[in-house]
Amino acid sequence: MKNITEKPNIKAVLTIAAATLLGTNSLAHAESNTFETEPDEWKFDTAILYYSEADRVSAGEAIFNAQKTFDTEEILNLKLTIDTLTGASANGAVAQPTVQTFTRPSGNGQYQIAPAETPLDDTFRDTRVQLNAQWTQPIAPDYTASGGLHLSKEYDYLSLGINGNIAVDFDRKNSTFSAGFSYFKDTFSPEGGLPQAFSSMLIGDSNADSWDDDFSATRIGSEDDKTTVDILLGFTQVINRRMLMQFNYSYSTVDGYLTDPFKVLSVVNNNGEAQDYIYESRPDSRVKQSVFAQSLYHFDTTVLDVSYRYMWDDWKIKSHTIDSRFRIPLGDSFGKESYLQPHFRFYQQSAADFYQPFLIDNESIPAFASADYRIGEMTAYTVGLKYGMLVNNGHELSFRIEYYSQRPTDAGFDEIGVLKSVDLYPSVDAVIAQVTYSF
Amino acid sequence: MMSTIKNIVLIASTLTVTSGCSSLGLGVEPWERDLLAKKEMLLNASPVDSALDDHIYFSKEASSGGKGFGGGGCGCN
Amino acid sequence: MASPCEVIIQTTDKALALIIGNRVTKEVWRIEDKYNRYNQDSLCTLINNNAGKPIAIDEETYQLLVFADQCYQLSDGLFDISSGVLRKVWRFQGRNEHYAKFPSQTSINTVLPYVGWHKIHFDRQQITLARGMEIDFGGIGKEYAVDRSIILAKQLTEQPVLVNLGGDLAVSGPRYNNETWQVAIEHPDVDSHINQNADMIISLKSGALATSGDAKRFLIKDNIRYGHILNAKTGWPIANAPRSITAVAPQCIQAGILATLALLQGSNAEQFLTEQEIKFWSRR
Repeated sequence: MKNITEKPNIKAVLTIAAATLLGTNSLAHAESNTFETEPDEWKFDTAILYYSEADRVSAGEAIFNAQKTFDTEEILNLKLTIDTLTGASANGAVAQPTVQTFTRPSGNGQYQIAPAETPLDDTFRDTRVQLNAQWTQPIAPDYTASGGLHLSKEYDYLSLGINGNIAVDFDRKNSTFSAGFSYFKDTFSPEGGLPQAFSSMLIGDSNADSWDDDFSATRIGSEDDKTTVDILLGFTQVINRRMLMQFNYSYSTVDGYLTDPFKVLSVVNNNGEAQDYIYESRPDSRVKQSVFAQSLYHFDTTVLDVSYRYMWDDWKIKSHTIDSRFRIPLGDSFGKESYLQPHFRFYQQSAADFYQPFLIDNESIPAFASADYRIGEMTAYTVGLKYGMLVNNGHELSFRIEYYSQRPTDAGFDEIGVLKSVDLYPSVDAVIAQVTYSF
Repeated sequence: MMSTIKNIVLIASTLTVTSGCSSLGLGVEPWERDLLAKKEMLLNASPVDSALDDHIYFSKEASSGGKGFGGGGCGCN
Repeated sequence: MASPCEVIIQTTDKALALIIGNRVTKEVWRIEDKYNRYNQDSLCTLINNNAGKPIAIDEETYQLLVFADQCYQLSDGLFDISSGVLRKVWRFQGRNEHYAKFPSQTSINTVLPYVGWHKIHFDRQQITLARGMEIDFGGIGKEYAVDRSIILAKQLTEQPVLVNLGGDLAVSGPRYNNETWQVAIEHPDVDSHINQNADMIISLKSGALATSGDAKRFLIKDNIRYGHILNAKTGWPIANAPRSITAVAPQCIQAGILATLALLQGSNAEQFLTEQEIKFWSRR
């Protein structure tokens, strides 16, 4: 006798069969209430991610998310994130045909960079713990409110945040308006303190008696903070049985210490040779705005998810992001209800108006300058593949591997002298691997 | 008599508003949500993936947020 | 329907309650009159009495047959609405007569040729049974009536409604203030030495529940207990099946068929439902 448990879709087939019989083209709402959201039960998502850049930073990140849906439809979500980062990060200086020497951000010790190599500071090492709590509940028919708390702590960084959101459904829940805000207060206390903007990096004998005093002279304090206020307006619309769209507008304002205390700029002579390294300086406020559109389309079996974001800010950075996923169910041949999901992301940004790959020593110093490639012109893309399946009573196991490539580009700066022979805009390639288990 | 006419006007305008919404042809009836009810049709079907991705791109690029709050939250940028 | 039936409406509007009560009663009797094989005037009887000849059917009957066909396919032939003729040789009794009524394989073999859904042909217009065959909507009719009643009640009111036809029941949604319906499932009076729990209370906010199996009707042979659910392919009852299964599903007809399909798995009944992620209660 063939055992019918070999056909795992009995529930789904019966749902359709019953709907056909009863002339109700599937009471999906009843289904989701009865089958899926088990009230008063905890649901857990766990994930481990490994991120590795060739020759640069490696990071490991673990997430533990617990969600409880109560009988009366309130949802409590608790999330713990732990990540650890080690490796080398670009310090902002340009490569040179000669050996370069830099002082570590802490002031304790120096490091040397070989000719033609992009200067990387290899002392990056940090562990971060983040806690999030979010409470969501219906407050009236068609009205849902949500509020949350955020805490993130690193060795040299503390971030505290709150957020609130309200969503209104109308037209048979086919349309949803939402409005939310969030507020973050971050405090930065880097080892070695905060450098004076445009002060020269002290280089020399760090064992000399005068070293500590000379280093302190380049510092303006031990900590500073910034506040971030975000406002997010959203509109979601069901287009038809297969299609759903979302449109968001966000306004974000950041005030306070926005400079990266670890980054410098090379000051070069007319032949492109580094004469000095000075600490960068950024404005103390930034206003970002973005529009975002996302669409989900359910083909016969596959699901396409495409989104686009356009962001602009008063640093004159503009960016385009296209993100798409395509979920292909594989049936039960490669694991129960397994699927493959290719992922493609394209990102392009223009440079901030104060971005400079280097400064020239006989020219006047601008009000703000940074050689951080992350606010320079760049193109990046990600390609990835996710594979998921059901194991042990419907627990979901998935694997994800992605390749991320950043290609900084020249925004039209003249390359002078020896700089013509080095790579001013080195690419960064990273591999991301992730395992997720939900139960 | 006057009040009857008013009522008719009121009903008529209600009907206009209602049909005004549906004339766009958008949306589905509750029993047509069989596909939309699937987990993979959620706007944020994998919140854990999104959180991890947001953290990576927040620390490596100049843009953040848009889909959700971009916010601060870590010293990685 | 040879069992107590009720419609519960949470309302202060007595007239509305009467309208809904009458409408549901009318619908349940309509289905009963149309599909009960013991009713001499039913369509079911007409079909059974004319085995060998095509009989015209309507859309509703066609849809029920399609559903029965899908259950047959899903269960690999174990669930078969033509298996009723086997009752001519199997007589299930209460516990005082366990040992007496085992039929011989020979007598089973005489009726087996008249069982087999694949021998029945139907389309949107008509159904043709092979000579000697019978069909029986007993496995799905009552649950179908529950679902139809809820649909009709929802057309008449937005007030919370529960329809219970002899233990197979469904609700239109949560009660006022989003409260759940508390449904007690009566514990059948089985052997006292098997110490099962008393009445179970189940909270239901939406959807339906249905029970399949009958704890009072079984046979024992060579220390194997046989329930009254028959394997349509062998003609024998399913061995080691639970006495009854109560399953929860969005619709009553689904709950009922899931419970029945589980019983047909015998000793694997609970595993079957667990793998399908169905909420259920089993009695052994």
